[in-house]
Amino acid sequence: MSAALPRERTKPENFLRHLEPLRGALESYCRRSLHDPGAVGDVLQAAVANAFRDFHRYVEGTNFRAWIFRYLNSEIRNANRRAGRTPRTLDSRSELPVEETWQLAPDGPLAEALRDDPEAVLDRCDEAVAEAVRALPAQEQSVLMLRAVGEFTYREMAEILGIPLGTVMTCLSRGRLRLRQRLLDYGREHGLLRPPDEDQAGCE
Amino acid sequence: MTCDEARRHWNLYHDSEGDAELHFRIGEHLATCPDCARWFDQESRLEHLIAEKLRSGPETPELWDRVLTECGIVRRPRSPRHLMVLVGVAACAASLLLAWWGPGWFGPRTAGSDLAVLTASWHERLVDGREPVPFRSHSDLEVERYLRSRVSFPVRCPPRRDAGFTVQGTGACELANQPAAFLVGHVDEQPVSIFVLPREGLEAFPHQRDAIRREGTHRCRQGPYEMAASVIDRNVVIVVGRAGPAQILRVLDAYGSYHEAHSSERGRPLIRLDRDEIVDETGRGKLAVRPSQRPLRRRGIALGDSPRPTRADWLTGHAATVPRGV
Repeated sequence: MSAALPRERTKPENFLRHLEPLRGALESYCRRSLHDPGAVGDVLQAAVANAFRDFHRYVEGTNFRAWIFRYLNSEIRNANRRAGRTPRTLDSRSELPVEETWQLAPDGPLAEALRDDPEAVLDRCDEAVAEAVRALPAQEQSVLMLRAVGEFTYREMAEILGIPLGTVMTCLSRGRLRLRQRLLDYGREHGLLRPPDEDQAGCE
Repeated sequence: MTCDEARRHWNLYHDSEGDAELHFRIGEHLATCPDCARWFDQESRLEHLIAEKLRSGPETPELWDRVLTECGIVRRPRSPRHLMVLVGVAACAASLLLAWWGPGWFGPRTAGSDLAVLTASWHERLVDGREPVPFRSHSDLEVERYLRSRVSFPVRCPPRRDAGFTVQGTGACELANQPAAFLVGHVDEQPVSIFVLPREGLEAFPHQRDAIRREGTHRCRQGPYEMAASVIDRNVVIVVGRAGPAQILRVLDAYGSYHEAHSSERGRPLIRLDRDEIVDETGRGKLAVRPSQRPLRRRGIALGDSPRPTRADWLTGHAATVPRGV
């Protein structure tokens, strides 16, 4: 007996089939990247509408995830630009010189404390992390979020953002570094982190 | 590889990027340097927790409903108010239609169950095997014996074999809560079912009742099935199947006659439905036919010993019989 041929899907059905598993990641990326949290719905709508309009150009079997994130990233960039709130630079305390990132790794007793017990800070700093991400330079923010939320490869991120692969690597490294520095500052300001030797002194 | 070199490439190592050679060399270093191994492990854990925090936040179904609706990808759900308006308009339209055409517009079909639909459905299920046939036999006598022990109303069946019907089994069923029996068999390799109800059961099927009163034998088509129904003796008999109309009529006409020798073989009384009385021993309704009393001749050959001509013979012009005047 021959198997029944699958029914041909309509354009909306096909689009939804691809979109469904990505809804959470798209929304998270949008929320974290927009400077105006109230614009999430509009930006998502504009991105999805544009992607749906151009869906006939999408080649089945290629990377739909990267394809639709490109639309979303473009809308986020436009929305942030329209809002007139270009990404803020970090204050002087957190400002990092442009050097080889590996040399800037926030090492030291506090950084070690953060690595030892990251939950002590991360469990209490939701808004601080969100603010720190929003405060990153636009490209660093995009690369960091695409990697964290979308789990894209470097090459995919380069295609989505239209930047060279080397820039992706630099932005990701710097973005991670700035974020760690912000966590260290937050932990120190709120007394959540103490150098390991202080802990030992306290115990004694 | 030194510790500095290894840590410089932590991003590539953590993200599984870079070439295999680099990963191999870092792996080699980590295997020999516990400090770096611990540092790599802690960095990766921290990065994993940060990524989890950035990913956190469930999707908002309402937001997506709005987005997809506004984009025209899914249909806009109708508001309750909109639905109420639609229901109101539909109710008004229905009332107007009823007032315009009157209660008799729908005819007798809506006043009760439709025997054609029910029997066609049963026939289909029997053919598909979705309904089991409780008793299987090719013997007319065994089938009749089985049925008489199972149904509460008189039955005379199955049709004799020279009508083309080969019986294969039988069983009891219900049609619109009316007791019924069915016979399954074949006519020219086509599955054909015969349904038999007590005559009183016809009242539950006003459409067929009126049609049989009007036409004597009611013929119709239900989906792919040819059907013929009539009142025979004290039964309502419906023949259903994919066989041709003439074959279906032939089977119907032969109901109650026997191919095998049978002690109860005798002429069937004819019931005139319009007068509700027995008028003869053969035939039924307005289309009843009666063999002439004199020996029948066709092309000069005596037909005295040949089987009685059937309604199908009559309708197809082959009956050497005299139609009963109505």
